[in-house]
Amino acid sequence: MTALHVLTLSLVVIGAALAIWFRDLLASVIALAGASLLLSLEFYLLQAPDVAIAEAGIGAALTAAIYILAIRKTRPKEEE
Amino acid sequence: MKRWLFLAAFLVLVGYLIGGGIWLHPFGVPARDEMDRYFIQNAQAEVAANNVVTSIVFDYRGFDTLGEATVLLAAVVGVALMLRKVKG
Amino acid sequence: MSVVVRTVTRVILPVALAFGAYVIMHGHLTPGGGFQGGAVTASIVALLVVVYGGARLKGAKGWFAVLEDVGALAFVLLAFLGIGATFFRNVLAGSGGLFGAPVPQLGPNPGALDTAGTLPLMNWAVGLKVIAGLGSVVLLLSLFGREDG
Repeated sequence: MTALHVLTLSLVVIGAALAIWFRDLLASVIALAGASLLLSLEFYLLQAPDVAIAEAGIGAALTAAIYILAIRKTRPKEEE
Repeated sequence: MKRWLFLAAFLVLVGYLIGGGIWLHPFGVPARDEMDRYFIQNAQAEVAANNVVTSIVFDYRGFDTLGEATVLLAAVVGVALMLRKVKG
Repeated sequence: MSVVVRTVTRVILPVALAFGAYVIMHGHLTPGGGFQGGAVTASIVALLVVVYGGARLKGAKGWFAVLEDVGALAFVLLAFLGIGATFFRNVLAGSGGLFGAPVPQLGPNPGALDTAGTLPLMNWAVGLKVIAGLGSVVLLLSLFGREDG
């Protein structure tokens, strides 16, 4: 069980680091949504299914949609 | 100078987080559990709902949900105000 | 967007809608509730806006405004139902009327939909509110900066 927690949280950290590392903002948003989805899996493992559903809906879907809409209206690449 | 300041702040933050992880309260053993036990034992009989979390959110702590609904309303009104069509 | 994205959206749309309605409707029995189910359903609105563009959903803006107000008013009025005892008193629970049945048995049980008093109604109110609120936020963001917005 502990190994599963460690694996999930490591993947969350990797996803968050990727979201910062990518230059392409769309890939960055996808990485952030993946990290959010893995975070909701971690909430589920910690026996909080209510929070997990909310996190999956808000963090993985709605936030990504709002970021994608914002990127469409602006430039898709990060500037130096 | 600025870089060293950032490094020191970063190291202090990392130390705090590692310390918090080491001395974390054990999971599933709350320090005080009187309210927890009351909810778990009585919520089903008092509110007649199987989901104790929902009975806390909408019944015992209804004011919190009212505040949350107000926050959501304020956020939506703010977005609608910010993105409205401006004449001229 | 591409035809793949549009087809996949058409396939998962009814499933996701059913899941959102289930989470809201069974909020007093299974994990979830108005906020969670509303977030799931609002993410479908966001999917539709991203895939088909906000201009095709422009007519929903007025409906979202009405639904938001209906949800907020219903929530506060349901809270006022119990003002005889105290604000947010669950007067319908165990009264035998609408949603007034007691739980089948104390402890673990499969549950009945007809329980919990005002909780299911409040779940629907908050769910409507969250769907309309988050959906209109996404829709307004997608319409921002357009001539026809």
